[in-house]
Amino acid sequence: MLRARIRALFRLVFFPARADRELDDELRFHVTEEARTYVERGKSEADAMAAARRALGNVARVKEETRGVWVSTRLEQFMQDLRFGVRILTKSPAVSVTAIVLIALVIGGNTTVFSIAHGILRKPTPGIRADDLTTVSWVTADGGPQTANSYRAYLYFLEHSATLRPLAATDFQRLTLTQDNGSFAVRATLVSPNYFETLRAHLVKGRALNEDDARRDSSGVVVIGYHLWQNTFHGAEDVIGKSVRLNGQPAIVVGVAEPHFRGAWLAELADVWVPLAPEPTALQSSHPSDAVVMIGRRTPGTSLAEAQAELTALWTQLQRADPAMSQKLKVRLVAYSATAGGDSAVAAYGDRMLAIFSIVTLLTIAIVCANVANLLIARAVVRQRELALRQSLGASRFRVVRGLLAEGLVLSAVAWCAACLFAWWISRVVIRFISTPSREPLSLPDLTPDWTVVGYALALALLCTFAVTLGPALYTRRQQLLPFLKLGEQGVVPGRSKVSRALVVLQLAFSVLLLTSAGLAYRSASYTDGFNLGFDTGKLLLATVNTAGSAHDAAGDDLLLETLRARLQRLPGVEGISYVRGIRPSSWVTFPVRTERSPEPVLAAQNIVGAGYFDAARVAFSAGHDFDALNTAGRRTVIITKDLADALWPNEMAVGKIVSAGDPAHPLRAEVVGVVGNAYFGGRGAATHPRYIFFSNHEQPRPPAETTFLVRHGASEEAVARAVAKALREADPRVAIASLRSFDDQLAGEIAPLWMLTTLLMFFAGGSVLIAAIGQYAVVAFEGRRRTREFGLRIALGATPEQLIAAVLGEGFRWTAAGLALGFALSIAVASLLTRALFGVTPTDPLTYVTVFALLSGASLAACYLPARRAARTDPVIALRTE
Amino acid sequence: MTKTRRKPDLLQGTLDLLILRTLQWGPQHGHGIGVALRASSDEVLSIDHGSLYPALHRLERQGWVQADWKVTENKQRAKYYRLTAAGRRQLAVERTRWSRLSAAVTRVLGPAQ
Repeated sequence: MLRARIRALFRLVFFPARADRELDDELRFHVTEEARTYVERGKSEADAMAAARRALGNVARVKEETRGVWVSTRLEQFMQDLRFGVRILTKSPAVSVTAIVLIALVIGGNTTVFSIAHGILRKPTPGIRADDLTTVSWVTADGGPQTANSYRAYLYFLEHSATLRPLAATDFQRLTLTQDNGSFAVRATLVSPNYFETLRAHLVKGRALNEDDARRDSSGVVVIGYHLWQNTFHGAEDVIGKSVRLNGQPAIVVGVAEPHFRGAWLAELADVWVPLAPEPTALQSSHPSDAVVMIGRRTPGTSLAEAQAELTALWTQLQRADPAMSQKLKVRLVAYSATAGGDSAVAAYGDRMLAIFSIVTLLTIAIVCANVANLLIARAVVRQRELALRQSLGASRFRVVRGLLAEGLVLSAVAWCAACLFAWWISRVVIRFISTPSREPLSLPDLTPDWTVVGYALALALLCTFAVTLGPALYTRRQQLLPFLKLGEQGVVPGRSKVSRALVVLQLAFSVLLLTSAGLAYRSASYTDGFNLGFDTGKLLLATVNTAGSAHDAAGDDLLLETLRARLQRLPGVEGISYVRGIRPSSWVTFPVRTERSPEPVLAAQNIVGAGYFDAARVAFSAGHDFDALNTAGRRTVIITKDLADALWPNEMAVGKIVSAGDPAHPLRAEVVGVVGNAYFGGRGAATHPRYIFFSNHEQPRPPAETTFLVRHGASEEAVARAVAKALREADPRVAIASLRSFDDQLAGEIAPLWMLTTLLMFFAGGSVLIAAIGQYAVVAFEGRRRTREFGLRIALGATPEQLIAAVLGEGFRWTAAGLALGFALSIAVASLLTRALFGVTPTDPLTYVTVFALLSGASLAACYLPARRAARTDPVIALRTE
Repeated sequence: MTKTRRKPDLLQGTLDLLILRTLQWGPQHGHGIGVALRASSDEVLSIDHGSLYPALHRLERQGWVQADWKVTENKQRAKYYRLTAAGRRQLAVERTRWSRLSAAVTRVLGPAQ
């Protein structure tokens, strides 16, 4: 029975015409057969047919009753509605296709953003079982997030917590791994012994770390990543037990992690895992008790709130018992995700970017729904007569609205399929887009849409259905039946839709808002991109090395750096060389600088450089000279930029004066020996003044760590990069090269996120303008159609085509003006929020606003012109005959 | 959609029973069923042919009969209905119900005066 029903339903849905035809055939056969019996009884053929028909009764009613049997269930009624919806939509394909494309685009765009957000914020990194994993994070007194806290807090939680079990602690560090065939910079995660157990990450070889490994006296052990095993150890089967050196300390490989596992956080990208020791060791430059990130797995059946309550209590106990604990921090548990924790840019700015995009996509959704609703209202108006007829024949209003809903549902369903494909495609494009510009190793989130994303798209589609159906449905509900029934086939009841116009104005306003945001972001990005740093960044190679594997103390490090510098200096094609502490040229520390006379500090970025730095950067001295290489320790000297000199000593010579830098309680006093020209040595960022202060590495050597060589050269970048790498390896094989790239690449990588944001914004803004233009076109065209008779009359009375075009354009442009005015008002209100995010442009950038005005006016005029031209071509005879 | 169904000329469910019973003799098309019913009831039951088809389609949907297009002796295409296994069971059920009902009605009426 069920099978028979399903078969019948299937037939009804897919072959509705066939079912009707078969019923016709069946009844026709009945009539001929019946007639045959009458003929046999002696009637004439014609009489027999008539009598047979009479015997059957009202054929239409029999058919209707039989069809009634087919659709008895609610599902079948619904399917019939859908069929009706499809029929209506295929009747005016242009409107339907427009509506579908619009909805598909907006759902697709939205779904893409959601799937990116979902991928970045919700999915775990590869190789991890995420359920019940919980990150312990901290909130500072001013409400800011903090990822790490002391090791002692970890030990306390580990001992007392019943809800987070197991609980692991991690810390990050770049190390130098030395092996038979050379040294490599590796990204290491220092982990508590239960790390792999906590994450449920598997090893393909050997064992995980254990309690013994963490003791200080045991010899070093290391678990290596799969890719490291494959690339550095060439997948050797006997890798377990192999001896390597990490920052010069011996360590034995005890395990190999599974292929995709690179740590719990996207930014982590670990190559090796070493035990986190409770005491400082040669491997741990920072004191381990300073900062560890904790991640734990909630015991089965424990909610996040329960764990939070327990840890809050434990933390309060610990704070009371141990005054050395930070008294201002609060503990906050968050469900694990690949970005909750670590110090990645995504963790820092991801939320803000996503917030911007949520607003943007919501706006586009609003625009598109308004638009499609407008299209459907327009059609509802055209169909008023049909709907009125149906109602007068006894269809309930609910039934009519249900029909409209089915229509919207068909629209959204088609659009939903298209949107899912679109989102899937775009997420692959985005991946490629993110991965190109940056030279930094980057772990990419899994952005492929999964079922959650598909479900999200479905929810959006349903929302759109209701949003776009509501307008026409309300319209139908209000309407009087009689006037429409009285009109002829082509007739339309006069009167204009205020709703439609309001929607057009709203769309235009939102488009203005999106366009101005995109324009400002574009201006800001291109300003930053074309920003003059004050020195030549071309033909400048950056080589970041880690000397921790070779030098053991500060003096040794200074000696090593000087040796390397001398070695690189001799390379052919190298015109100038020096070095600066740290990884990147732009992450410098800002600290206060004072004169001896005034307590008022001036903020300046400081760094420690080697000899010849300004020569390599090609920034000239305006007074004084470079650091004295022979300067004996004791006399501290600094070099400052001209801007800083002018700020500290206006209209005075700075050379020879004493600055007092840093913490006023323990100031660092030094003599200014040189003033260099203004340049943004740290790269562009948000710096408003080129204020820099440089110390000499020779006078203030630091413990071995990462240092970046600046190589000014006159040859091809590739050749120099190869030569530099070779020379560094030859000079000291224990020195690991962390990265090698040109200054311009470094800058491009830093600005890439801004460009990405800008591109996406422009994409959305462009789409919204297109949609708004289509929407305006639809409404103007529809109005034009309604007023065909009026236009005909005007032409008949002597109006020229130009006059008609001007009239239609003028009317259309009145709404454009309203939309633009509203949009600019909105933009100015929102712009103050953008101030912080934008660099180099004021939020009320005139060029942006003029461009937006020109663009939207143009689009809007084009949208009005086509219908206007059609109006001008109205044939008065035809137009008036429809009367 | 029609909300108002015509009242059947026969007692509710009786037409179904009669159709099922008729089909027990073998597959038949709609007209044939009508003719057979008229003949087997000695022309007493004149089934309104208009109500025959909704009933047949209802029985088909319920899975009690199955329909196939075949060619008649007069070389015409006709839709033949035949009883399914479920239809046979249903016939037994309906038959019992009818016996009970008619017996009850007979009892109420009492012996003829």
